[in-house]
Amino acid sequence: MDYALQQLLNALAFGAEYSLVALGLAVVFSIMGLVNFAHGEIIGVSAYSVFLAAALGLTSPFVAVLLAVGIAALAAVVFERVAFRPVRYAPTTTGLLTAFGVSIVVQNLFMLLISPKPQSVSILNGLNQMWFFGPFAVSSLQVMELIVSGLTILALVLFLNRSTLGLAIRAASRDFATVRLMGIKANRVIATAFAISGALAGIAAVFILARRGSVSPDLGFGLVLKAFVACVIGGFGSLPGAAVGGMLLGFIEVGLLVALPQEYAGFRDALTYAIIVALLVYRPEGLLGQRIELGDKEI
Amino acid sequence: MTGSELSQAVEQMAAPAAAAQPGNAVLRSLIGGLVTALPVLAIGLLVLNFAPTYYTFLALGAFVNLIVVVGLQVFMGNSNIANLGHSAFVGLGAYGVAILSTPLAMKKLSIPNAPFGFATLELDPVSSALIALVVVGIVALVSGKVISRLSGVAATIVSLALLIIVHSVFLNWTDLFKGNQAFFGIPKVVGLPWMLVFAVLAIVAARLFKDSRWGLQLRASAQSPQAAAALGIDAKKLRLMSWVLSALICGLAGVLYAYFAGTISPKLFYFQMIFNTLAMLILGGMATVTGAVTGVIVLSVGLEFIRSIESGVTVAGIQMPQLLGLSGVALGVVIVLCMAFRPSGISGRHELDELLSLLFRHSAR
Repeated sequence: MDYALQQLLNALAFGAEYSLVALGLAVVFSIMGLVNFAHGEIIGVSAYSVFLAAALGLTSPFVAVLLAVGIAALAAVVFERVAFRPVRYAPTTTGLLTAFGVSIVVQNLFMLLISPKPQSVSILNGLNQMWFFGPFAVSSLQVMELIVSGLTILALVLFLNRSTLGLAIRAASRDFATVRLMGIKANRVIATAFAISGALAGIAAVFILARRGSVSPDLGFGLVLKAFVACVIGGFGSLPGAAVGGMLLGFIEVGLLVALPQEYAGFRDALTYAIIVALLVYRPEGLLGQRIELGDKEI
Repeated sequence: MTGSELSQAVEQMAAPAAAAQPGNAVLRSLIGGLVTALPVLAIGLLVLNFAPTYYTFLALGAFVNLIVVVGLQVFMGNSNIANLGHSAFVGLGAYGVAILSTPLAMKKLSIPNAPFGFATLELDPVSSALIALVVVGIVALVSGKVISRLSGVAATIVSLALLIIVHSVFLNWTDLFKGNQAFFGIPKVVGLPWMLVFAVLAIVAARLFKDSRWGLQLRASAQSPQAAAALGIDAKKLRLMSWVLSALICGLAGVLYAYFAGTISPKLFYFQMIFNTLAMLILGGMATVTGAVTGVIVLSVGLEFIRSIESGVTVAGIQMPQLLGLSGVALGVVIVLCMAFRPSGISGRHELDELLSLLFRHSAR
């Protein structure tokens, strides 16, 4: 029973992290059709800024968390301004390849300017402790991951549903031209979307740092690949789809972790991806995606 | 851009002349492919006759990249869907021949516990290559069935998932693939002449596919799915077809790589190869086979130059520090700048022979 509960918490925590990152991807994709491969590098920039701040003498974990989230939001906005604005109206493939290029540049800049080797960051290790509830030992990080992700998603839903800018973002994902006709600036909507996406990545970066205690150039890349897969099973561009897809991915991973014998543990990623590809055979448009027929105007 | 290309594609499809003389069109495309391959042939022959061994080795690597990029172009250029998983097929081709053709004495050292009797099997290089390509074809057919059904973005993500699946199998099925360690002792049977022959064949094959009715229909459906579907074009079938052809060409590149290098390891066929070849194709221009060739030539030379700086050069007597990651930054910058300022790459949308004939027509006037 204890073991089952522990694994359930594991799955929820993994799933929450994937959901956060996948939501960041989906917010940007739903508005401007950009497949943001550089999302992982936003996580990277955020983590490296904490590493640098700690190296320069920052000791407060609270400030480090604020810094991580703030820098991530800023980095996302800067990426949009520098790299993605020139390809805003280009076909999806062009944007995708641009983002892929940005991702390569930033990863290699970490290598070039800091080090190809992982660097240790211990400032956030305090978040990762064992809490004891009677007979249960629970990782504080996992509980926090779950709670913070839940609150963040709630805040995002409230923002998108209650504020004017949120309404504009939701409207922009359906028909950008009309949103602009209503007097909303395109740049503002897109910058806000990127800032949200970056902040979500920053929260993920905090959890990654607390768990790994180190930074490396490819820190966010693998996570973002998984988040992409979560988006695809959820239905690309659908926000609820991203959240559900992320959770599903967490459960599949932990399920395989439990089910697979130790000697096959290395095949976990391969099997996770294989299961998801198999799901796509039955629902090519994703779990919550809608089938779009040729010529459909309204999505 | 899309509008003019679309009208051009429709014009070409409507042109009855091409349909009336199929033999003629194939011949033109064949000659076009050979013209496109001419620079490659010239460079290859120059290297073969004059270059020192070190440059021959570099050229062999560049030719493998060339074949990979041409293979990538077959899918990406025609279907306009980004493929980020093609190096999985390169790896499958390379490991296929490694497992089948490595001499038994070597296998005792490297994979003594290989399942299915592979530890006691040694085939000649040609049949190994054929079997490896059949395996690549089967994997491509199965993965292509999924990928051809998906929308563009989802297809790209699944191609990436395929890469990760294949890489993770290479790493973890240690009895068969030796895991993270290098797989050595593959017979080195391919030199520059054979490499050159296959590079030219790959270029011609890519060109023939592009100009064939399937290639034309696929390009049309990439530009306007609705219009193509209205004309009765089965885009899924065509995507599958180009996916499999692309995978076979990439697999061939892997086979050739294994046969010239003699040693392979999984990390060769992972993201680094994707970055390199993708940047080459984008820089050259993915719409044409000429673009693939141009990109490989320009970036191979450029990257070699950057790598010499990266490893620390001595400028005016001062030893510069190692700059690891410089070539990666350069590749990424090439992709980003190309996409922002010239998405059609260096060569644009005309093949070399088309450019030449345009040029002659202008000067004749």
